[in-house]
Amino acid sequence: MTIPEKASKLKQWQITPRAQNSRLWRIFSVILAFLAALMISSFLLLTARINLASAFGALFFGAFGSWRAFMDTLARSSPLILTGLAATIAFRAKVWNIGGEGQLIGGAMAGFLAFTLFSGLPKPLFFLLVLLFAFAGGALLGALSGVLKVRFNVDEIISTVMMNYIILYFLSFMLSAEGPWREPKSYYQQTVLILPEFRFPVLFPRSEVHLGFLVALFCALIIKILLDATPLGYEIRALGFNPKAMKFKGTNISKLVVVTMLVSGGLAGLAGAGELFGVQDRLVMDIANGLGYTGIIVAMLAGLDPLGVVLAALLFGGLINGAYRLQTVTGVPSAFVDAIQAIVLLCVLASFVLSRYQIRRVVDVESDLSSSDHS
Amino acid sequence: MSNQIFQAAIIASILASTIRLATPLLLAALGELVTERSGVMNLGVEGMMLLSAFTSFMAAYVTGSLWLGVLAAILTGGLMALLMAFMAITLKVEQIVTGMALNLLGAGISLFWLRLMTATAKVDYLIIEIFKPIQIPYLSKLPYVGEILFSQRWLTYFAFLMVPVIWFFLYRTKYGLQIRSVGENPKAVDTKGVNVARLQYAATIFGGMMAGLGGAFLTLAASPRFVPGISGGRGWLAIVIVIAGNWLPWRITLAALIFAFLDAFQLHVQGVGVQIPYQILLALPYVFAIIAMMSSRARSEAPSSLGAPYTRE
Repeated sequence: MTIPEKASKLKQWQITPRAQNSRLWRIFSVILAFLAALMISSFLLLTARINLASAFGALFFGAFGSWRAFMDTLARSSPLILTGLAATIAFRAKVWNIGGEGQLIGGAMAGFLAFTLFSGLPKPLFFLLVLLFAFAGGALLGALSGVLKVRFNVDEIISTVMMNYIILYFLSFMLSAEGPWREPKSYYQQTVLILPEFRFPVLFPRSEVHLGFLVALFCALIIKILLDATPLGYEIRALGFNPKAMKFKGTNISKLVVVTMLVSGGLAGLAGAGELFGVQDRLVMDIANGLGYTGIIVAMLAGLDPLGVVLAALLFGGLINGAYRLQTVTGVPSAFVDAIQAIVLLCVLASFVLSRYQIRRVVDVESDLSSSDHS
Repeated sequence: MSNQIFQAAIIASILASTIRLATPLLLAALGELVTERSGVMNLGVEGMMLLSAFTSFMAAYVTGSLWLGVLAAILTGGLMALLMAFMAITLKVEQIVTGMALNLLGAGISLFWLRLMTATAKVDYLIIEIFKPIQIPYLSKLPYVGEILFSQRWLTYFAFLMVPVIWFFLYRTKYGLQIRSVGENPKAVDTKGVNVARLQYAATIFGGMMAGLGGAFLTLAASPRFVPGISGGRGWLAIVIVIAGNWLPWRITLAALIFAFLDAFQLHVQGVGVQIPYQILLALPYVFAIIAMMSSRARSEAPSSLGAPYTRE
């Protein structure tokens, strides 16, 4: 608290809330947050006794240093675009879907089910059904949490997190020795290998960028239009902005919450199909591998903007990709990226404060108690 | 006759495990109770437990002292909670996402350092000597009851001791009253000239320290090694337990015991060899968590200002 200096006309710095949220300033503060996160992460690298320049160099070259590296980055960003979009649409409505991880697994499992059912069908139809099933698998889990929220008053944060654990144990059962999906005579918890002809087609020669990347870009566009230019999108945004007004307006909030969770879960489910049919080529226990949680960070970094999600996902895809090179070149465990991600999220959250306030130099006429509320 | 003795022994063993497994849940839940009572919603319990479990393990491994491990856990939990408090109370950032960030931070840093340690030590995994059960004189000799209640580790005794302590603190002391009032109506407390932010900081950091102790139990008193994600959702269960216990210390204890019982049941059923896939048994506490949330409609004691940052007008 400042001591009130009565009747003094001092020039002083003052922090005042911004009248308008400047978009440029917002982007600037996110970049600032990202740089701050890299600096803080450097301390972690120092605990590994690693030369910082060579570490960040390896990270960068591993991510964007060559055509091949860039292609791998694109491939790794595809699931992040989808889980990022999943978090974006839910968080816009202030519906806290933390279940991207589980919904991704649900999507992958439904996708595998489609594989066992429809592998005889012509390829375009087969892929369409796979995507449809994957969406439905994730959407089912999402909508379930939505219904639990509106009908049974179960907080969606709790139910989605619990669902993450439950679905993982379910997958573990399906892949166990007694389970129906276990590869016969395998030592590992995995299904049979999906043969190349059933995998998602590759977009660029000699790369791992598969159909899932196109699907992700397409979804980003759809969600952008959905949020910005449709009545449903308006309602989703309004629900996040002012749920009370929505109630007075007579909007069916219960339905809106369930629909939001359904779409959100479905998007994460699609990511599961991409991982199954484009990257892992079989259902394994760590099919999700944190991609659902990273989606939350991607969404926050993007300021909950669908097109921003694509950029943020590229950045994080690059980080994950670069981490592998980091490990091979310097021996720093690739888990470094997991730590960086959390630090980025914290810095981005803190940067929201920057964009909410502005620092101005004002002539202080009455330095009264009103300026002392930042105790 | 011998069959009956066998059954009684199994039941006693399940109940003893229940008390033991309730320890981390109870420690974290009691801490979260105090935090939430002050109006701060810290969803980072899982991350605080996980990183504390890791640092306590590492401190014990490097120094050879379990007590330094405990200290490391308390410090880790406290520091992470301080970060939460700074973000939530001072910067007034969205508490839900900040809590998630703590969880990711705990998972990321513990995994990174674990890989680093195992790579430099050139071993697959590190092992420590853990705390031994303390037999309470005379009482531990009682049939069944002795095994169930009086042959536990000190952290277990401590956790159950904290129940009346925290009840007394919240309902019979000035600071307890202030913390509860801040969660209900921060403005009223502020008007009385009490520093709202300071109370919330203290309550949040205390919650973090308790979660840290819960994490320490996992590596210093339950398992001799650290595995990634060792907290396994217990931090989240602690949050569920606070809600299911309607923010009341005694009910929270009951809820923690029920969740621990499910876990203990699962352990013993596996041992006896009942024909249920063990994955389904493992999922039981999480399924039950959702059911508990469905049936615990009574949220009469939920702090009114929970999760809402307080700003003076």
